[in-house]
Amino acid sequence: MYGQYAIKRIIYAIINYAIIIFILSALFNASMEATLVSQIEEMIQGEFMARDLTGYTVTEINELKAQRRDELYRRYHLYDPMIVRVFWRTFDTLTFNLGKSTNVTSSAGERDVSIIVGEAIPKTALLFTVSAFFNILIGIFLGIKKAQKPGGLLDQSTSILTMVVYGMPSWWLGMMLIMFFVYKLNLFPSGGILSTPPPTGIMYYLDILYHMALPVITMILLRAWGGAYLIRNIVLGTLQEDYIMSARARGIPENRVLYGHTLRSAAPPIVTMSVMSLLTSFGGAIIFEGIFSWPGMGNLYWIALQQNDIPVLLGNLSVTILLYMGGLVLLDLIYGFLDPRIKVGGKR
Amino acid sequence: MERVLDVKNLKVYYYTSKGPVRAVDDISFYLNKGETLGVVGESGCGKTTLGTALLNMPTPPGKIVGGQILINGTDIVTLNENQLRKNVRWETIAMVFQGAMNSLTPAYTIEKQMLETLRYHRELDEQEARERIKKYVNLVGMSDDVLKRYPHELSGGMKQRIVIAMALFLEPELVICDEPTTALDVVVQAQIINLLKELKEKLHLSFIFVTHDLATEAEVADRIMVMYAGKIAEIGTNEQIYGEQGPMHPYTSNLLAATPRLHQKVDKLSFIPGSPPDLLNPPTGCRFHLRCPVVMDKCRTEEPPLKEVEKEHYVACWRCYNDE
Amino acid sequence: MKKNGSSFDKKTDKKASSRKDSRLKEFKRSAKEFWQEFKQVRYGIVGLILLIFFVLMVLLEPFIIPFPEAGDRWSDISYWIDNPRSASPAWTNWFSSKKSTVHEFLSEPEFQVTETPQFQVQEGTFIYDYKYDIPPGELTLKARGKGNIVVEAELIRPDGEVINLVRKNYNSRNETEIRIALGKEAETRIINFGRTYESAENSRSVQRHLLKPMEILFSKAEEGILVNAEPLKGEYQIKLRVVTMGQDSYFKDSEIVVSGKVFGLLGTDDAKRDIWSGIVVGTKWAIFIGLLTALVSVAVGIIYGVTMAYFGGWLDNLMMRIYEIFVSIPMLPVLVVFSAVFSPSLWILILFMCVFYWTGPVLTVRSMALQIKEETYIEAAHALNASTGRIIFKHMIPQLIPYAFANMALSVPGAIVAEASISLLGLGDASVVTWGQILHAAMKSSAVLKGLWWWVVPPGLTIALLGMTFAFLGFSMDKILNPKLKTR
Repeated sequence: MYGQYAIKRIIYAIINYAIIIFILSALFNASMEATLVSQIEEMIQGEFMARDLTGYTVTEINELKAQRRDELYRRYHLYDPMIVRVFWRTFDTLTFNLGKSTNVTSSAGERDVSIIVGEAIPKTALLFTVSAFFNILIGIFLGIKKAQKPGGLLDQSTSILTMVVYGMPSWWLGMMLIMFFVYKLNLFPSGGILSTPPPTGIMYYLDILYHMALPVITMILLRAWGGAYLIRNIVLGTLQEDYIMSARARGIPENRVLYGHTLRSAAPPIVTMSVMSLLTSFGGAIIFEGIFSWPGMGNLYWIALQQNDIPVLLGNLSVTILLYMGGLVLLDLIYGFLDPRIKVGGKR
Repeated sequence: MERVLDVKNLKVYYYTSKGPVRAVDDISFYLNKGETLGVVGESGCGKTTLGTALLNMPTPPGKIVGGQILINGTDIVTLNENQLRKNVRWETIAMVFQGAMNSLTPAYTIEKQMLETLRYHRELDEQEARERIKKYVNLVGMSDDVLKRYPHELSGGMKQRIVIAMALFLEPELVICDEPTTALDVVVQAQIINLLKELKEKLHLSFIFVTHDLATEAEVADRIMVMYAGKIAEIGTNEQIYGEQGPMHPYTSNLLAATPRLHQKVDKLSFIPGSPPDLLNPPTGCRFHLRCPVVMDKCRTEEPPLKEVEKEHYVACWRCYNDE
Repeated sequence: MKKNGSSFDKKTDKKASSRKDSRLKEFKRSAKEFWQEFKQVRYGIVGLILLIFFVLMVLLEPFIIPFPEAGDRWSDISYWIDNPRSASPAWTNWFSSKKSTVHEFLSEPEFQVTETPQFQVQEGTFIYDYKYDIPPGELTLKARGKGNIVVEAELIRPDGEVINLVRKNYNSRNETEIRIALGKEAETRIINFGRTYESAENSRSVQRHLLKPMEILFSKAEEGILVNAEPLKGEYQIKLRVVTMGQDSYFKDSEIVVSGKVFGLLGTDDAKRDIWSGIVVGTKWAIFIGLLTALVSVAVGIIYGVTMAYFGGWLDNLMMRIYEIFVSIPMLPVLVVFSAVFSPSLWILILFMCVFYWTGPVLTVRSMALQIKEETYIEAAHALNASTGRIIFKHMIPQLIPYAFANMALSVPGAIVAEASISLLGLGDASVVTWGQILHAAMKSSAVLKGLWWWVVPPGLTIALLGMTFAFLGFSMDKILNPKLKTR
């Protein structure tokens, strides 16, 4: 039952991803091809520089170049009809053959877009999962406290706080905190993931934590209240259910009722909400990481934009979408696992 | 006869933003051991409030404002949460809730929930616990494999049986059944009623059976308590209420008359005009006086007390007292 | 037969119009009920007040900003030319021990005119009340003139000292703009003035190119005037004497720009633009973009959800598939890349956002609509042979309107932030002055590093405040309309 559900979800996701990449490839085909054409020229120039061309006339050289160009165009399907070109681009993207960048390089100096993007992924993942971890923890703790005394002081004040930061851009709050804590008080580093030169041993990890502190604090200040608000509503709704009163009537201790019965039953919507908020903050990461010079995928967009590096932009986008959809699928799987109606299926 | 439950002057009010709603307003009654007391009345008469109050667990914003609930001599109104949880709830009194559809936590299997409840009250090792659970599941007419299931996999009738099994397995003194058959279809209803009758005989339990369905009440109850607007109108034995003689309180007799009989030919359905009073501001005097077909002047101003008019038969009506 | 028919029509017409009336009455009644409940939610009222405040700001825009053409002439350097560069707001003076000169414009005084057949003499005095510690950067005389003009100016200090500032000739056939930087013109004279009061020692030690004429001009005439000056506060008079020769010559519209270090409500950016004007101008765009996006996307989403619920079956499935595809795409990264490649205009941007935001209400609306569908009055409508459109629009959608409003309000902040993000990255529509555009300029000029907080804080703050306003409104509507959250 669950197995069926899981496989179905994954297959749907893969099909959807393919469709999306196809649409994107069609949309951006023109600009990608312009880049490709200039990259081919570059390549030809490079090749011919390295060859020993003594004894050749200029016309002969040009002819050789034209031949080579023709060969390369054929290899990259540039003579084929539009739909075939788009198809090949889709295929390449789906197999993570993301091309070469025009300017941006990886830490080792490579221009392979897959590697460039690949390097950025773990850094973004680190930042966001740590922030999400704290947000969920605080959200559950606060949310339950709020649900226990609805309308009380804690409840009202944190709800107001939720609304106050609702429209606040994460990057703006980041800027404010940087201006205050970094430039005025000099408590945190101004950006990046490591100091230069990076320390070794255990200090290496502590250094990363030190650099991660301010961005994570920013995220928590922005998102924790919203999570608490939603969890509070979910828990309140669940507490009104008959089975909670029934559990209490059976003499089960209040703690167990709260965590074992209420929270466990509310787990599916709570998990959904937490993962969704994690995924949506992913979108705003572009400027957020840029502000903190955090070398993740968001920052990569920023750099690629400044250098007008289309292959990196598109490659990054494909991977971003992949991760985003992956997150959604994971969410579905976890949800299905937590909700017995899906895990075990319907009535007998 | 030994009394297992003795309620004296119980008051349960709901404190809403508009003021206190007097859902149960000074009622007194008793239950003998091994007896089934049926509690009937219209919606909003206070019977469900009574049910949860007997566990000292009134639904918020309700509160027990006064009176005593004596179970085998102990007044449970005076106990604190811990004591209630350990000794009273489920140990002494158990409740079968209205709408068992939603009485079981959807996230856990039946077995897990039953084990949990059992282990909180008894020091049993796993093996013994499982055996006891199996015994009671079978007792309510179901097979063992239901234990591994989740609540959503069971039908309404099955869930009701499980809930009954759970109520019984600690062998409490008193079981309160709040509308146990209302949400079920007629066939299943009959099954459950028969089951309850069977269990009553086998286990010699004392029951309080709350319902608005008079016909069901007639089947299972030894004595009947009729409630109206938070007060008791009449208490009598099954024979006294449903028998040839008929009940004494005008409300009860109208209630019975309003139930259409299968074999009677009726031109017009009789009913009681008006609607139950607002318990925020209950009427003066007898609470039924606004709808009573035989109302007297005295009824409007003075509240009739609950008096014994014959053996085991109590009425609260100015018309019905012997010395009238 | 016909007669009966027509009277029958009249009857049903009457019934239809009276039904309309009663529906209007019912709408009025439920609106009143809603308002009663809404009044009680405190933050809802705060939200409403804030919204009114913002709307007023938009409506009164031309009156409350010192530069009414700020919107259209944002990139026009000449419009801002007389402002100081990167000046902090005027009120920061309150917090400093040394007060900077507030940038000011001295208006043309009443001229005393003396006329002779050959020339005209205009004499007038500009009054300037100097009450600061840090002197202005420059005093600039601006005017418009034509023909043969001689301009003379001298400064009379509060301590009585008189300094000749300038004597300049102009001769032009067409009307031309006259700009005289008085401090620069009189530099040598001013420095010499200073030297007369300075001690010989200081005079010698100080470096010529470090001397600032304005500082000397506004300092006490005593020893130390060149090295460690004390400000001379008081009334300064700039006497102007303008001689115009010839019938066609004239000199008019004069003013003196006192170049202060602080300016206005929110200071200026490094292109000398008044940030307060920018903020006010940006307000209407923010509200416009936010509301339009929210309106369109929620409307589409609701119709989509209701259609799914109403028709069910394979259409429901198909629409669900399409929905899933849209929901799997994170909007902002795609928007960023799209904008980078295609440089869209504002309208395309809004359209793009709608393409992503419509998915928001769909699932909830679908489940609400499914519930409504089961209600018996829908069956009744079917029995009466009502058309699909009628059922959807007259029966189902009105029930969803309250939810729609709450949803719209809560979608607005997201749209505003999205546009601001795109503009901040430099991908937005540069022809429109939005708060994001202001931030973009700030980022490009490294405002954060340079500590130009008045440039960086206000645009983001207004984004946050407007977002907060809609959050207050949306949450309070949600609280009233969502029965599950009632904690009674």
